[in-house]
Amino acid sequence: MELTPSVLNLDWQEVETKIKRFIKDYVETSGAKGIVVSLSGGLDSSTVAALSALAMGGSKVLGLILPEKETFNAKDIEHAKNVAKKFRLKSQTCDITPTLEAFYKTIPIFDPAEKVCKGNIKARTRIVYVYYYANKLNLIVCGSSDKSETMMGYFTKWGDAAADIYPIMDLYKTQVRKLARHVGIPKEIETKPSTPALWPGQLAEKELGIKYEQLDLILYGLEHFMKSKEIAEQLDIEKQLVDKIKHRWLSAEHKRRMFLTPKLEYRTIGTDFRLPRSNY
Amino acid sequence: MEEKIKITLAQISCKREDKAENLKKIEKTMIKAKKQDTDLVIFPELSLTGYIVRDQIYELAETIPGPSTKIIENIAKKTETHIVFGMPELSPKTHATIYNTAVLVGPKGFIGKYRKMYLPTHSVFEEKRYFRPGHQAAVFDTELGKIGLIICYDIFFPEVSRLTRLNGAQLIVCISASPATRRAFFETLTVARAMENTAFLAYVNLAGIEDGLQFWGGSRLVGPNGKILVQAKYDDDDFVMCDVDYADIRSVETFVPTLRDLRPELFDELKSQAKNL
Repeated sequence: MELTPSVLNLDWQEVETKIKRFIKDYVETSGAKGIVVSLSGGLDSSTVAALSALAMGGSKVLGLILPEKETFNAKDIEHAKNVAKKFRLKSQTCDITPTLEAFYKTIPIFDPAEKVCKGNIKARTRIVYVYYYANKLNLIVCGSSDKSETMMGYFTKWGDAAADIYPIMDLYKTQVRKLARHVGIPKEIETKPSTPALWPGQLAEKELGIKYEQLDLILYGLEHFMKSKEIAEQLDIEKQLVDKIKHRWLSAEHKRRMFLTPKLEYRTIGTDFRLPRSNY
Repeated sequence: MEEKIKITLAQISCKREDKAENLKKIEKTMIKAKKQDTDLVIFPELSLTGYIVRDQIYELAETIPGPSTKIIENIAKKTETHIVFGMPELSPKTHATIYNTAVLVGPKGFIGKYRKMYLPTHSVFEEKRYFRPGHQAAVFDTELGKIGLIICYDIFFPEVSRLTRLNGAQLIVCISASPATRRAFFETLTVARAMENTAFLAYVNLAGIEDGLQFWGGSRLVGPNGKILVQAKYDDDDFVMCDVDYADIRSVETFVPTLRDLRPELFDELKSQAKNL
């Protein structure tokens, strides 16, 4: 296999159709009234919100805008609102700052210098809001995680990746960009650098230490059972870098596969209790 | 035996784990087909239960004959039509040994069954975890001609279709539950199996979404020359009919005489090489 950017090309119309069917089928068979998505104004959440609106009609999609003072970015909020307007979805804004401050104040061992621990509170708090709306209004929570971030474990466990369905989780970040363009996400959103917005100035590519264009090809190679050496040779990069990515991918499995328990009985949750997802 | 028959490809989505609901859907489809004078109606693989039922299969599997085949037999009798459908078959000699089976019934009752030989257990498929593989090809001499049955992944192994043809099959019926990512394979293989065997091939795939997995539909009837005579739409439930004239086989078989040119000695070589893969 030749590892060139063209391997990531897909028929975007077909992808759009499949994702819309997936969303619509899940919402309808579950008996929910629609979708709620945490709308940050970034690429992934904008794309998921747009696809949900295209699948269900914008009136059945609620985009929750959840700013907080440390990472507040007026441009992001403007982008989120633009997406809501363009795809005619409903939106609501909740400032989560007071909730976060309550956590900071009431956790005896809280240390503001531990930015990852603190940032994870933000990701988990956002999802508490999202699930409140889901429960109250009988909505399905639509996750925005993509394949690059999920493979890298670049998300908060029980935080931003908590959802009922994940429409774009089988697409790498660079593929999501192309899909976003296809469905009509404004260019300024499609091209802006990704950030989980856990602390000011946080940028995904800077933290991951690699550009998504290169990361996605490495991950694509790993997905297709290519060996590190082969990937490194094809991309003309150090094997060490591929090994580092591979290690990070494998070591994050605990974040992707929940419910680990010792096997004690006949059928065990998370291992050999193999049931279909049914909407009884 | 009829030389000319009318076949209906009943591409349905199933309600998983709900046999009563799926039987109702089958009956409704049969009544619709009967109104259009069809001779044979074909439903997808595991159309009695849905494809992704995982551990629930132990509750859903039934013997053949059993309660569900009795209902289907009655529908066939009432509509005076032949039916092929798929179901998890519980071995009558055991308590939890199950086959992935295609069943053929006619107006006079049960005709025969075929137990899937190639069970995909890779990617999204986990059939070997649940099913025991069948051990022989199946061809049935019916009022509608000689009908061979195969199931889904069997089509990747030309020997299964070939065996049905060598046993005289004029029509190879392939019932399937193929997800969208496999479409290109099946679109090619259905044509190839019909052409190389100079037989009609009816491919009926599942539609709809089960557990996030989207089945691509696209059921088709392929002539012995590889021509697609009719094709159902992609992804959604559909219902298409087509006339088949077995006399068409003769001209194709003389034009491309693949059966005449078979070299049995190569099969011994194939067998020994396959054992040493």
